[in-house]
Amino acid sequence: MIEFKEINYEVVTVGEEFMSDDFLIKPEDVETFAFAVEDHDPWYFEGSDDAPASSPFGGKITHPVLMGNQALFMRHSKYIVPAGLHAKMQYEFVEPLRVGMRVRTRGKLIDKYEKRGRHYMVTEFATRDEETGTVLVRGQFTQMLFPKSGVHEHAKNR
Amino acid sequence: MPKTASQPQLLAVGTELPPLKKTISQRQIDCYSGVRPNSIHTDVEWAKKKGFPAPLVQALMSTAYVSQMMTSWLGEGFVRGGKVSASFIKPVIVGETLTARAVVTSHDDVGGRPRVTVECWCENQQGVKTLVGSASGFADHLRK
Repeated sequence: MIEFKEINYEVVTVGEEFMSDDFLIKPEDVETFAFAVEDHDPWYFEGSDDAPASSPFGGKITHPVLMGNQALFMRHSKYIVPAGLHAKMQYEFVEPLRVGMRVRTRGKLIDKYEKRGRHYMVTEFATRDEETGTVLVRGQFTQMLFPKSGVHEHAKNR
Repeated sequence: MPKTASQPQLLAVGTELPPLKKTISQRQIDCYSGVRPNSIHTDVEWAKKKGFPAPLVQALMSTAYVSQMMTSWLGEGFVRGGKVSASFIKPVIVGETLTARAVVTSHDDVGGRPRVTVECWCENQQGVKTLVGSASGFADHLRK
């Protein structure tokens, strides 16, 4: 049983670990993602009438960044996150993601810091094929924590 | 027919990749981020409460444009071994048009394979940069 707390700079601790739920990559996930980012590369759809086989991976793959949100939302499995801004993202694509894989992302908070009055947390992550343990994607990201006032300087700057 | 690293004009430092232009709709944000209340991406009132004029495009969407640009160019050498490092420096509002751009900045030999690095960025319709960073991958199986 998880007791969810509202996230803030004080409550998160360097070294704490996060884990996403596992996720089965389904054809409709790839279709939805392709629509969202307007990227219908035939490598992601081969085998359909519109996309003959073309990928060099022995079958269709998915967008390398498909599971980015699984990493980003790991903290939601421990905290209530009213809002936040994403400051930085680093990806390394190790092996292609494929439809039918069951994947899970694990991560660790490796740093938190204050800069110009704003609070940030840095998380490293690895997304793996749950069946084989193979690392598919790894990286790290930096998220800004919203202040309790609710209105952020970023908004005022526009 | 895949092109190879023997075509140096595609790899020369200073070479600009074909830009990608995206006008981002609320429906696309909804599909990317998932619709929920109290979200700056999909809840208009909540976005306003947080000080924004309208819902924000999730920053991570811009990395998908960089990934698309690199996958279209490097193919296998990006899908297996590619890297992206991005900083999101300006919020993007629904309905804005982003252009993703990249310029080759260096080549390196990594274990006998040519790794090419680009400086990449996204800019809005006013030419204001919203993402800045770099991306790289192996250039031994170019798609185009």
